[in-house]
Amino acid sequence: MPSSEDWINNPLGVVDGIFAQSKLSPEWERKVLEYFKEKLKLNDAKSWVPSLNDVPLHYLKPNSLVKFRCMVQDMFDPEFFMGAYETVDPSTNSKELRCGKYKDVTDCGQVDFNSRNIVTSERQTFYCVPIPGESQWVKESYACSSQARVVPSTSYTPHRHKRSYEEDDDMDMPHQKESSSGPQNLPDPRRNVDSKRLETEAPCQNASSSHCSSNLDLNFPLPGERGPACLVKVYEEWDSFRLNDMLEVFGVLSVDPALSFIADDKEVSSLLDPTDTMETAEEQRAHSPPASLVPRLHVLYAQPLQHNNPLLPSAISEDKAFLSGFLSELNSVRGELLTYLTHVLLGDALAAEYLILHLISSVYARRDVLPLGKFTLNISGCPHNSSYTEQLCQIIQHLMPSSYRLCMSLHNMNNLPMVPRKDYTANRLVGGILQLASNTSLFLDETQLEQGQLDATGVRNITALGNLISWQKVDYDFSYHQMEFPCNINVLIASEGRSLLPCDSQVHLRPTVSPPNVEEYLKAIQLAQLPSHLNKYRVYLTVARLLDYSISEQVTKAVEEDFVEMRKDNPQSISAEDLHRMLVVARLLSLSYGQTTLSRDGWIKAKQLEMVRTSRTQQQECVNGNEP
Amino acid sequence: MILSLFVTLARYYLNSTYSGKKCKQFLQEFYNEDSAGKKVFKYGAQLVCLAHREQVALVVDLDDVAEEDPQLVESVCENTKRYTGLFADAVHELLSEYREREVLAKDALDVYIEHRLMMETRGRDPADTRDPRNQYPVDLMRRFEVYFRPPSTSKPEVIRDVKADHIGKLVTVRGIVTRATEVKPMMAVATYTCDQCGAETYQPIASPSFMPLIMCPSQECVTNRSGGRLYLQTRGSKFIKFQELRIQEHSDQVPVGNIPRSMTLYARGENTRVAQPGDHVAVSGVFLPLLRSGFRQAVQGLLSETYLEIHCIALMNKTEDDELGTEELSEEELRQITEEDFYEKLAGSIAPEIYGHEDVKKALLLLLMGGVEQAPRGMKIRGNINICLMGDPGVAKSQLLSYIDRLAPRSQYTTGRGSSGVGLTAAVMRDPVTGEMTLEGGALVLADLGVCCIDEFDKMADADRTAIHEVMEQQTISIAKAGIMTSLNARCSILAAANPAYGRYNPRKSIEQNIQLPAALLSRFDLLWLIQDKPDTDNDLRLAQHITYVHQHCRQPPTHFTPIDMKLMRRYLNKCKKRQPAVPEALADYITAAYVEMRKEARVSKDTTFTSARTLLSILRLSTALARLRMVDVVEKEDVNEAMRLMEMSKDSLQPDKSNTTRTQRPADVIFSLVRELAGEGGKVKAVRMTEAEHRCVSRGFTPAQFQAALDEYEELNVWQINQARSRITFL
Repeated sequence: MPSSEDWINNPLGVVDGIFAQSKLSPEWERKVLEYFKEKLKLNDAKSWVPSLNDVPLHYLKPNSLVKFRCMVQDMFDPEFFMGAYETVDPSTNSKELRCGKYKDVTDCGQVDFNSRNIVTSERQTFYCVPIPGESQWVKESYACSSQARVVPSTSYTPHRHKRSYEEDDDMDMPHQKESSSGPQNLPDPRRNVDSKRLETEAPCQNASSSHCSSNLDLNFPLPGERGPACLVKVYEEWDSFRLNDMLEVFGVLSVDPALSFIADDKEVSSLLDPTDTMETAEEQRAHSPPASLVPRLHVLYAQPLQHNNPLLPSAISEDKAFLSGFLSELNSVRGELLTYLTHVLLGDALAAEYLILHLISSVYARRDVLPLGKFTLNISGCPHNSSYTEQLCQIIQHLMPSSYRLCMSLHNMNNLPMVPRKDYTANRLVGGILQLASNTSLFLDETQLEQGQLDATGVRNITALGNLISWQKVDYDFSYHQMEFPCNINVLIASEGRSLLPCDSQVHLRPTVSPPNVEEYLKAIQLAQLPSHLNKYRVYLTVARLLDYSISEQVTKAVEEDFVEMRKDNPQSISAEDLHRMLVVARLLSLSYGQTTLSRDGWIKAKQLEMVRTSRTQQQECVNGNEP
Repeated sequence: MILSLFVTLARYYLNSTYSGKKCKQFLQEFYNEDSAGKKVFKYGAQLVCLAHREQVALVVDLDDVAEEDPQLVESVCENTKRYTGLFADAVHELLSEYREREVLAKDALDVYIEHRLMMETRGRDPADTRDPRNQYPVDLMRRFEVYFRPPSTSKPEVIRDVKADHIGKLVTVRGIVTRATEVKPMMAVATYTCDQCGAETYQPIASPSFMPLIMCPSQECVTNRSGGRLYLQTRGSKFIKFQELRIQEHSDQVPVGNIPRSMTLYARGENTRVAQPGDHVAVSGVFLPLLRSGFRQAVQGLLSETYLEIHCIALMNKTEDDELGTEELSEEELRQITEEDFYEKLAGSIAPEIYGHEDVKKALLLLLMGGVEQAPRGMKIRGNINICLMGDPGVAKSQLLSYIDRLAPRSQYTTGRGSSGVGLTAAVMRDPVTGEMTLEGGALVLADLGVCCIDEFDKMADADRTAIHEVMEQQTISIAKAGIMTSLNARCSILAAANPAYGRYNPRKSIEQNIQLPAALLSRFDLLWLIQDKPDTDNDLRLAQHITYVHQHCRQPPTHFTPIDMKLMRRYLNKCKKRQPAVPEALADYITAAYVEMRKEARVSKDTTFTSARTLLSILRLSTALARLRMVDVVEKEDVNEAMRLMEMSKDSLQPDKSNTTRTQRPADVIFSLVRELAGEGGKVKAVRMTEAEHRCVSRGFTPAQFQAALDEYEELNVWQINQARSRITFL
């Protein structure tokens, strides 16, 4: 696709061209957008665009078109900029009108600030980070599918200063480079092929992680995350974006060194300039970090992502062919996945069934404060002193596009920042663990909890987790007040006994096999799964979650009557909440079989499933005596 | 850029002398009449003060300008910066006319200015024109500040709506201050002296930074090429107070899923030191682009920052702000609320997502409303209504609580397990820096004039629970700790939720055993509700329908009414609260009689709750709250009846399942036994007055319709007879 070179390598040229043609009519803005939209629509044009996610920044050409898969972490105040400006050539004194859109710095020449032709426009800056907790397989798969061939060019001398930066780091910590790239990367067949890239990536990662602690915090919500953060400048319809949205943005990469000079220069001049003390050094660091670390991206086209599963077309509901093709084999995939999970859960088929339901759950609506469709699962009875929970979480990580394991150890609960908080000195939102994108799987490992004292932070963290589970919202701390942010996070709690956090349903694990070495056993199961199978499971879980669902009038009647019947027999047996839960279970069960409506059979199955589960819970309570 | 653009435009198209004249005329001639009909020259008087340096800021109220010249107001709002200058010029010209006596020099700059003026009049040849640089800049001579107050008709903007098209205009915004710098002196006019010729040079400064002058521009130095160097003189320069603030928009103005926006404010002169971080402020000022100069401008490139130059800044507290934000209820909204059965409707609008519990919701509505506080001869009787909800786990108590917490304009939510007595009332803290003792209010103090919701009331330690006894009756908190003896107001209603002692309500145990709260505390609650999860086919079916509907359609099932919007409800309640209904004399007897009746009953049947003088007060509170809700000034009999019905229902809810153990009594049967009792009271009298009987029944929670039905039914059975006029029941 040789023609693509133009608009990918030099999008600003295209913009300038359209701008020059338009002769000041405001139409040109729309034309630019349409042009790029059309270009990106071409069959696999999107995969030709290099992605910031998997290509190191210094391999990318400045001012070229790049894409970035990210989550909106913070929203800054809108900026005013010159949409069009006039430059004066001092030698000839001739004036020229230029376009200021999609740029950070003026091109050349002297800007005539008193010109009448200046158009002031507004744009919005989002601070975007890679999707927190994105699984390794997702990243790899996206990187593989990318067809952009980015070769490290020798012609990027203008960015010398940035290069040296990294080299410094490189020299500082050569030992760290090896240690970090070693264990983190799972067995990777492409290792040899891509070894060069990995090598160059490693110092990058080190650079960012070391800067986290020292002078530049890239503000990732999850600890230990890496990847590029980006200041995304949005020109159109920024009101439609929300915090924590997953986006795929296509835009002009801007890494002009002048941007970093601003940051450096400001710190020096602030000593002289009395008005600058308002903008503290931290604020500048947060809002205009060096472009080599946090590049700017001027958006030409952005689309919210429904999911971040690379195995599926991004707009799944439109791709009917894919959907119907998959639905035909859905049931067999479900069967296989169930067997797999049953093995993983030590032969407990019921728990595996519930785990599937949990994995495909998603908040589909909110009624006032009550979120509908959430299904928090508590798997109790997990073996305590082995690394079982860790392994279990890894298995889930291999299935879900994004997930995070939170060890609920006392130390973690007392120290980790969970709730995002506004830092007014730096004027930004400091991320917390609970700032996650939709449909992230949060694995709470309660087996790590020991006896001891929870301090104020700990209590707050527990409350935040409780709120998250029961209302699917997180109250962000804005110091003077709190703001509620709705979220959609699948919470799975692994515990020994009943969890101290609230949950929708609890399954006590009842192992039927007791392998002498749990670790070996799980590893063996994992290895037995073919990659193609794993991919099927991944597709299955995402598809089942995105299916539409409805309940017919008839079934509704039947459910109502059923409820009244049950209440008549034994009022203690079922409450309004139980009915809520059973309807959710019925929904998820139907969806897991690929059925988009609730049938009478589906309802009865859901009821039976719930009955088996509750009876098991009751038995467990009997065994334990009165202990909750 | 834009500023400069329209300044030039204005220069061309506006005849500035004409405008200046207008300003002058307004300042001189504006007056309003005081109560005696005398003309009061509002600005004239202020000009006198300005002339004598007794006042610094002159605030021009645009409402006043509007009276004289509405067009001028418009131009001021559109192009504020320029008109500030015009008004300042006008004031400057007028000041000498208003000076009545010799002014004492207040500071060094005054003396300095005086000297320079004297020098000019004395030593100079009038024909000798001076270099404009060496002329005294007007800014240096002025010791006053001119500000505009926006017209009251202009609405405050939301911070995120202040955009590029507002540049140069007078804008009013509201927000919370998140940062404020120290107040610093900022140079307004720099004064230099030359080391060669001694001439003084002035440089007015408008931008935040400036390039100091170096070479002396005076005639002498230039012609002699002596290369005189200029030195900055601090004493002769003019400084103004300067503070930079940042405000953030209020949380209710932020769309869901967005981060609140912020805005930079510049306060100068008299507007500094008004607000601190955390304050809620209303600010009006001019929205301006920040002009950077020199290198900064070059690297900044295409960006321009903006700020709001403050003209008026006012602090407000949060509750006031809430009220301010809401206009008076419109006719239509009022009609929407005060329809028929508005009482049911309002009650139903509380937590619409929770199904049923109509009476509990009615009680909560009254709690929000609050009764009338009485203070006969210094003895204060609280008007706030306290309610305790008890019930099995999972009957939506906490949801009700959190809904009230959200609905009430002022509220605090705590859980019993997480709060100690100190956390609820007040704590004496030692300041780590100064070592001073300070009082810190707890949840109850913070909820003053609002609602304090306490969840898990039963889980509180007994010692902590006693701490709130005082609050619940006296509505104050007394502190005698560490040398601080004081009493804080805590005029709040308490809404508590508790689980029965054994997790679930045990019908085989007595009430006391089930509740396990001391009588001293229980009697302080006006209403106690036990919400039980009892099976009932009809209810269950409706409940099931409700839930399945929600799952099917993802929204509320359609009811016969749409729940009233939370904001509207808040405003309505606010409006109602202004009423102070009184109990008329005639009703007093009725209430006393009812109370005596209740006491008697309490003695006869082994009553589980306390019927004491507090019960009587509760009835009064509830009925005044009901009257308030109807927005009337007199309590009516229906109010009292409804109050007693609620009391009765709340007591009923505490009765161990009558329905389960014995055969259900039909209403008619109960009504019959009530009337029978009434007849029995009067000894051998076999006849009962109809009205009396009806009152009795209504006060026990029956509707008049039920009463009539019972009458007819028993008449058919020939148990009693009713006379033609239907005024008397005679037993056969």
